[in-house]
Amino acid sequence: MKSVAQGNKPLSIILFLGGIALIVAALVLDCMGSSYEYRGAMLVCGIIGFFLGLYLIPTKKHHRKIVYFIFLFPLLFTFLVTVIFPLVLGIGYSFTDWTGIKFSKFVGFENYISMFKDPAFIWSVLLTFIFVVLNMILVNLIAFLLALLCTSTVRGIGFFRTAYFLPNLIGGIVLGYIWQFVFSNVLISITKTSWLSQTNMALFAIVIVYIWQYAGYIMLIYITGLTQIPGDVLEASSIDGANAIQTLFRIKLPMIASTITICTFLTLTSAFKQFDVNMALTGGTGFVQNFMGSIVTTGTQMLALNIYNTAIRQNNYALGQAKAVLFFIILACVSLIQVRVSNKKEVEM
Amino acid sequence: MKGARRTKNIILGIIGILIAAYVLFPFYLVVMNSFKAQTSIVESPVSLAGASVAQLWENLTKVASNSNFNFWYAFGTSALITVISLVLLAVFGGMAAWVISRNNKKKWATAIYMVFIASMIIPFQVVMLPLISTFRDVGKFVGISMLQSIPGIVFAYCGFGGAMTVFILTGFIKGIPYELEEAASIDGCSPEGTFFRIIFPLLKPVITTVTILNGMWIWNDYLLPSLMLGQNGKVKTLPVAVQAFVGSYVKQWDLILTAALLAILPMIIIFMFAQKQIMSGMVEGAVK
Amino acid sequence: MNKKVITLVLAGAMAAGLSTTAMADLRLVNGKIEVDAALKSLAAAYEEETGVHVEIESMGGGINIQDTLKGYYQADNMPDIFVNGGDADFANWEGLLADMSGEAWVQDTAAAYVDANGAVIGFPYTTEAIGLAYNADILEKAGIDPAELTGPEALKAAFETLDAQKEELGLTAVIGYCAEATNLYWSTGAHLFGAYLDSGLDRDDTTYSDLLADGGQIDVDRFTHYAEMVDLFNQYSDPALLVSGTYDQQVLGFAGGKYAFVTQGSWIGATMTSDDADAYAEAGNFTVGMAPYAFEDGIDTILTNSPSWWSVFQNDNTEEALAFLQWCAEDGGQKFLVEDAGFISPFASCAYVANDPFAQTISDYTAAGKTSSWHWLLNKSGLDQNVLGSIYNAFAQGAMDVQGFVDTVQQSLAQYYAE
Repeated sequence: MKSVAQGNKPLSIILFLGGIALIVAALVLDCMGSSYEYRGAMLVCGIIGFFLGLYLIPTKKHHRKIVYFIFLFPLLFTFLVTVIFPLVLGIGYSFTDWTGIKFSKFVGFENYISMFKDPAFIWSVLLTFIFVVLNMILVNLIAFLLALLCTSTVRGIGFFRTAYFLPNLIGGIVLGYIWQFVFSNVLISITKTSWLSQTNMALFAIVIVYIWQYAGYIMLIYITGLTQIPGDVLEASSIDGANAIQTLFRIKLPMIASTITICTFLTLTSAFKQFDVNMALTGGTGFVQNFMGSIVTTGTQMLALNIYNTAIRQNNYALGQAKAVLFFIILACVSLIQVRVSNKKEVEM
Repeated sequence: MKGARRTKNIILGIIGILIAAYVLFPFYLVVMNSFKAQTSIVESPVSLAGASVAQLWENLTKVASNSNFNFWYAFGTSALITVISLVLLAVFGGMAAWVISRNNKKKWATAIYMVFIASMIIPFQVVMLPLISTFRDVGKFVGISMLQSIPGIVFAYCGFGGAMTVFILTGFIKGIPYELEEAASIDGCSPEGTFFRIIFPLLKPVITTVTILNGMWIWNDYLLPSLMLGQNGKVKTLPVAVQAFVGSYVKQWDLILTAALLAILPMIIIFMFAQKQIMSGMVEGAVK
Repeated sequence: MNKKVITLVLAGAMAAGLSTTAMADLRLVNGKIEVDAALKSLAAAYEEETGVHVEIESMGGGINIQDTLKGYYQADNMPDIFVNGGDADFANWEGLLADMSGEAWVQDTAAAYVDANGAVIGFPYTTEAIGLAYNADILEKAGIDPAELTGPEALKAAFETLDAQKEELGLTAVIGYCAEATNLYWSTGAHLFGAYLDSGLDRDDTTYSDLLADGGQIDVDRFTHYAEMVDLFNQYSDPALLVSGTYDQQVLGFAGGKYAFVTQGSWIGATMTSDDADAYAEAGNFTVGMAPYAFEDGIDTILTNSPSWWSVFQNDNTEEALAFLQWCAEDGGQKFLVEDAGFISPFASCAYVANDPFAQTISDYTAAGKTSSWHWLLNKSGLDQNVLGSIYNAFAQGAMDVQGFVDTVQQSLAQYYAE
């Protein structure tokens, strides 16, 4: 290790320059529109050679900096290519007539204006908000009650925790089809027509499935919060003669205020991004007779699915991208509010 | 007083069991119906009638041999993608987090760190469409297929998982006393040697957390692979294969439920062995 | 240090390995998952004869095939031959498909897809029919002559007669009509709506399709009569099927003799004789037929067409792909397409007769000149999935009456076409 670190001048130069040469050659081939099949391998080998050469450069003074650079590069590079670059491009595309492959002109805010003229889109925004609020309340309430149960003196707490958490292991698509089976093959003997075929009930069905999946996870966070309450505080309150309800509202809830904040925002953002279950359960179908004077035939389509359908199914990439940017703005605002709220809470405490 | 407590516990226990029954009911349906043929699933989805081990074997064989589903291939692809992504994220994430936390007084490191954190609020939807077109164009340009390929999707997972990984790891590395490294450096150990020999082994618990969080996400992810690999492409991950198979109008519940069972089984098995770590890892990830 | 080198080398090797995938074989994307096995044996025979491997990739009706193909195109993963369902589909690939005008098979059929410039870009592989499929044995037992089902009165009377004798005939319901919207939107939104567009018209008559294309208009009179027929189906369908049933359930019910009529086209014949063969045999392998969707007096045609075509994507494999299609049109290929896949051949020289329950009725209508073409493929993309499917479903649930249905369809079509 030591000798390598001190470097090997000839090898270092060969690898370094060879790497650059390969990279340049590959890029020249690319620019010439060559379809030489090894040009990709050339590029990759060139990059590897470049870094190996760089690593082996015999310099004590700069070695640490070189190592820092090499260490940062892989993750930072993938991050820039997959997140930052597409984000910037995407925001730009939302102002054009982008087709997913190319764009010919800038259209200003046209995409943004046209989406607000589309009742089906407004409907899906409203539906998403309803869904988010319903979930935020129900998931937190149920999870908190489950957490109370799992921190009580009842037997079999370990089993309950595990059982309630289990649904969280399953991915949205598989889970969606399992529940499609439950709704359209099992519950149908009680409900007569599947809830998934009735627009109002379908939303309710998605909420049920979502709670089923998510409440166990949020419960775990509440359990952690509850078990962090110092025992002597609870003891003191019981000596003072506080009953269970009083302890809950006066001691427990205030003591886990920060946990509640975390869970609220966690459920909020994740419900907002809901896609898999929506797609697998109803595909967004549903009928609304009169919404803003027009008929909506995508009655259970939430925002994330609407973006996907607009871009991929209806092949309107620019409009889909503009909706996605709006989606991003809403989520960013929510996150900013979260930071504000948590900071405030911490100061108060 | 004692009696009241006992009654309370019994009532709570019953409530707990009822809820557990509700939560576990879909699992029961999946497992039990995997032992049944299509007709008895449709006729009596809840009862055990018609269930037999021989039928389970037949369903498994049918799932494995269905060429439109290609179960084991999709399973292997998913496993490969998940494992490679997790290893790379742990190694590259550890490296990057170490550099950032050891330079936390310098502006560039703080800037990189802030960008990583800020990026965590970016929803996938806003980058997915340009991501696909970028990958396609870059792939065509340099002659390395980025879509429809395992390296391409691993690359994307490293990019998307990077921010959270660095965030959690940096927080942990900051807590490791710098004296440890200085001592090694005085002994003549190179910086990279210090990282791999001294710091990286110390990261084990937090890397477990990161791996669990990333692993659950990557294994179950649908949207990214469906866009990158196509809804019915040659390379399919398990969720994409399930969607492609089930989404067709031929609702063969015997195969679907057996496939669902196979898809969730690995998660359940891993969960059994690492229950504590997974549950605490998920909480830590959320609380941070 | 070693770890990193290994990782990098691995990554490099993976990337390098990927760029060298061989593309010598042909790949065909098939849109009819039910004939997957038959096409695979066709491909095997072709490989034996010529040594060219043809990979069959089948996609089901729930997947939007064109979307998937667009994804393939974006991912640079196009199949050599793939299915296209009509003008809108073909328009996606303008300039990318091979012109097959020079191929020998073109002279042998009238069903090839020809674009506006006269280029042949679609290979027809079957003939399908959409009509009101019926169980001839049951109609006979009930004393109904299917030849007289040519008007709303006759249809209604037949439904009432059957309904009165449900028990004796072993029927669950008179008709197996399913208006489920998530998975079966295509049945109502495309096919059944297609009956409104084309029933009773000459093959080249596109009156109602043109009207629709012009801002989403409908002929209110004609559509009201049509809506009354749909209402009749709503009333006499199996409640367990109507709102949230599945395709399998619907076809199985008909094959098993539980429904006298079914609102599916001739393609269910293939399912009845394969997946549902047991139930079909138990119900006595009854004769089937098709009546017109006679929502107005005088409508006496069923809809027939090539439902979709195979197109050749222009790439390095184009020559091989064209050779394969020519082979498919000839004796060797037709044997599999007709006898195994159960396709009703669009080629004049074909000597095979499909072993399909519906083959006879289709050829009778064709011989009598009582067929209309269908033009629902001209509908605006996504109309069935995003608009009509949900409306038919709401109608089936009783959310509106006939007049309400007509108004709703009229309004939402106008909306959708205005977007």
